[in-house]
Amino acid sequence: MSALYVLDVPENRPVAEVAAHDRTVSLRRVGPYFEIVFDREVVIDRRATGCRPAVWYSSVAGTRDARITQWDKDSLRLESA
Amino acid sequence: MAGTPHLVRGVDHVAYPTLDPAATVAFYRDALGFPVVHSICAAGWGPADHPDFIHFFFDIGNGDRLAFFYYFGYEPPRRGVKGDVYARFEDDVPDFFVSSRHLAIHVDGEADLMEYRRRLDSSRWPVELQVQHETIESIYTHDPNGYMVEITRALRPVTPQEDLDANLTIDALLDVLRADRPTMDALLARKAELILERAAGWAVPAPKLATGAPTR
Repeated sequence: MSALYVLDVPENRPVAEVAAHDRTVSLRRVGPYFEIVFDREVVIDRRATGCRPAVWYSSVAGTRDARITQWDKDSLRLESA
Repeated sequence: MAGTPHLVRGVDHVAYPTLDPAATVAFYRDALGFPVVHSICAAGWGPADHPDFIHFFFDIGNGDRLAFFYYFGYEPPRRGVKGDVYARFEDDVPDFFVSSRHLAIHVDGEADLMEYRRRLDSSRWPVELQVQHETIESIYTHDPNGYMVEITRALRPVTPQEDLDANLTIDALLDVLRADRPTMDALLARKAELILERAAGWAVPAPKLATGAPTR
């Protein structure tokens, strides 16, 4: 399984919440971080998060066994490495 | 490092050269309202070829100061097509690099930020950009010397977990810099390892209680 880590601060919470809408994704906690666990791919829609650009482009804290294949004004997409 | 006392108390002064002290005073003192609080008239300073100069200081709040040097009769050779009076660059240097160095001065809140926006917008140096970053909101302009000046307010206090995250970022960066070609992908992968190593047992400190009682 692969994972995306997002620091739990108020601005970032919508990123984790929108990611968790995908039933194939599980949301856990590691200390002050959200751990967004996925199998093959996770796609997060920026507009659904409501994040302004500065928040959106700084919301990723870490990636485990995954690579970012899209991170633009539309979506953040990670695929298993 | 842990156990090493952190003794410093902020900025005493930061100093830049200016070729146009009249415009510099017009910008900082007259437009922004920063008081002149100190100046040095230095004649016969240093070796024989050192020009006489004025070193003058503006109060930027909190006892901190922004200072300038004006050297009588000296103009540096004109090189480059962009940058400020101190650092000039040719066209092949991208703007993100040229405009990366700046001074940010903070204010207490939105009303104060908007007051400085009003002062700048009614001057020869109007605000060029206003933007909400992650946890701060800022206005930007360039002073008469070409130095970028930011005035900023916090949108909320920085939390302890953000300090933890910053330290994990820097440790991950130092690790990936040892590779031939450090990349963001490598940093985020290394940082995930550090999160699992160090953050799992990390508990968010209890918020300080606002009891009104004095603390010592």
